[in-house]
Amino acid sequence: MMSKKTMKLLLAGAALTLTASAAMAQTNLRVFVSSQHRPDVWRKAFDMYEAKNPNVKVTIETGGNTSEAQAQYLNTVMTAKDSSLDVMILDVIRPAQYAAAGWTVPFNDVLGADADSYMKRYLPAYAEANTVDGKVVALPAFADAMFLYYRKDLLEKHGIQPPQTWDELAVAAKKVTESEKDPNLQGLSFQGKAIEGAVCTFLLPYWSMGRQLVSNGKLSFDKEAAVKSLKLWKDFVDQGVAKKNIAEVATDDTRKEFQAGNVLFAVNWSYAWGQFQGAESAVKDKVGVVKLPAVQGGQPASCLGGWEWGVSAYSNNKTEAQKFVQYLSSPETSEFMAINAALLPQFPDVYTDADVTKAVPWFANARPVVETAKARPVTPRYNEVSDIIRTTVNAVLAGQSTPEDGATQMEGRLRRVLR
Amino acid sequence: MATASETTLVTPRNESGTKWWTRFLDPSERTLALLLLLPAALLLALIIVYPVCRLVWTSFQNLSLTSGAPAAFAGLENYALMLDDPVFWETTWNTVLITLITVPGALLVGLALALMANLPFKRKWPVRLSLLIPWALPLSFAGLIFAWFFHSEYGVVNDVLGRLGFEGVIWFNSARWAFAAICLTIIWKTSSFMALIILAGLQTIPRSLYEAAEVDGAGRLRQFFEITLPLLKASIVVALIFRTITALQTFDIPFTMTRGGPGTSTATLAMYIHQNTVDFLDLGYGSALAVVMFALSMGVTAVYLRMIRAKG
Repeated sequence: MMSKKTMKLLLAGAALTLTASAAMAQTNLRVFVSSQHRPDVWRKAFDMYEAKNPNVKVTIETGGNTSEAQAQYLNTVMTAKDSSLDVMILDVIRPAQYAAAGWTVPFNDVLGADADSYMKRYLPAYAEANTVDGKVVALPAFADAMFLYYRKDLLEKHGIQPPQTWDELAVAAKKVTESEKDPNLQGLSFQGKAIEGAVCTFLLPYWSMGRQLVSNGKLSFDKEAAVKSLKLWKDFVDQGVAKKNIAEVATDDTRKEFQAGNVLFAVNWSYAWGQFQGAESAVKDKVGVVKLPAVQGGQPASCLGGWEWGVSAYSNNKTEAQKFVQYLSSPETSEFMAINAALLPQFPDVYTDADVTKAVPWFANARPVVETAKARPVTPRYNEVSDIIRTTVNAVLAGQSTPEDGATQMEGRLRRVLR
Repeated sequence: MATASETTLVTPRNESGTKWWTRFLDPSERTLALLLLLPAALLLALIIVYPVCRLVWTSFQNLSLTSGAPAAFAGLENYALMLDDPVFWETTWNTVLITLITVPGALLVGLALALMANLPFKRKWPVRLSLLIPWALPLSFAGLIFAWFFHSEYGVVNDVLGRLGFEGVIWFNSARWAFAAICLTIIWKTSSFMALIILAGLQTIPRSLYEAAEVDGAGRLRQFFEITLPLLKASIVVALIFRTITALQTFDIPFTMTRGGPGTSTATLAMYIHQNTVDFLDLGYGSALAVVMFALSMGVTAVYLRMIRAKG
């Protein structure tokens, strides 16, 4: 039997520990970060927040290497109303869906009457993408757009200027690959696998022809332009400008192959730059970036990318999580991520910041591209729209259907979804 | 027959005016059996009957989580949509094709494996173990491993083809080759399950039958067709039922190998159900698709059961 004295001591000890832990009240925030967007650098940004807020501990969760793999995972977490995630990074196409499903907590209560001016600090496209029915449903993490990367050294060697049109690109690619005689050198790498990137692959020439997929919430599909777009990419494969198995190539494959020195031109997002300049890169200091080519007689068009921070509606730490997201979506963090991870800023002013232009000189030219990049259709049924476009692009590139059949199928299936 | 005689044992007690609950105090064998079955029946109702009914109910609703709208009764709308959905027909056809190719394929390979494993080896365990490994491997692992085998640039299949002087194939760039790669993987993965069941059947065949056949001068081939195969029929039918139902539900291997590509040419019905419910969050349409798959599985099972009953 325990003596009364020991009992008292134990109780006192327990009481002490309880009060102590109440004073420390640690909040653990679990944050989902996409693995392709430098979770290692985000970790450093999280560490800085932890240093300033000793009562907050941030854990990173990362997974999947494509936007849809991540969406699939987050869909499962959210439909299960799982509280394990507090903050999650969302592709720019998703805040509208998340808002419709009620999966994120709006920031309006925190921002109060300042919400409007708060959002005005961002590039307009991102203020718009994150505001649904007047509610701020997420805050921008970083901006993005698609660019044309090219091998500066090879173009200079052959006296070629970066191409302005896709036709010029094909000519340049053939000239360089023929005279280089390197069997591993591909003229052009782009995304042909049935992933989100393939939606942009289809839309780039389609938009360049001045066409829209959705106008005023209605499908405005131009079949002729769609056929031309699909044919443009298929011709690259047939002419040997792109490799035969381009239908297997995802975004990060394009990045890896370019980084290994096996690609002359590559269509990719901004994140690739940081890795091209990294220690493991075979093309360090040999890379140029310009806006994407246009179709003959058309305007150059880029696909608006970028990712957003949302706070889960099922989080147990909503207030702390929102505070944390405001830090992540601040000009300071934006500058840090631009310098250290080459993620494009969501704030117009950061592009011209002296430290940023020193670290990533081409960002100054990137701003007009981001500002004019076109957004993929905004609809709660975006996943279906995306699936239709990307499987068609994939089937055409694999030679499974012709550009004409592909466009017909695409139109029929899109009409079902966007009724 | 047994049940009928038990019923007659129970009825007189009921007629003799005893209260119904006294039966629980002094349970006859029949009531005791029912009582003992009750927990299992309740559990089954909870985990099978309820979800199936719920699924059928959901299939009559407009329920899409992305719309934010509450569920609304839609009658047969989801089924009408399905009928003119080209992807539904394509994925259903792919599923039927996978079943028609891989079930007989796995049966033949499994039968061969079982016959080999039944040979009088000195050490039996290495043979049994190699039979068990593919079966014990999770489906998605098998899919991922074979996706690497068939990779056009780094895969071992194209490497071997190249060494033999053939040109490699970009397997996942063509519907036919991708389909072939998937079927080969499924056959590899599932034939060991067939082999295990058939091996169990083989071991119940008395040696004396073969000895008698030998005395009568029957050759090996004759022995196989006259003794082995007829006596294996029961195990083969059991193996076929299990294999066909899992084949109709094929998901993991094509999902990990091709994600249904190129285009939707290797997508199965199960993958389309998953896509509609998990990716598109259209639970109504996804449920309607699942009801069709459920009906398909039930239909096939009914055919097999009838076959067994016909055989007596």
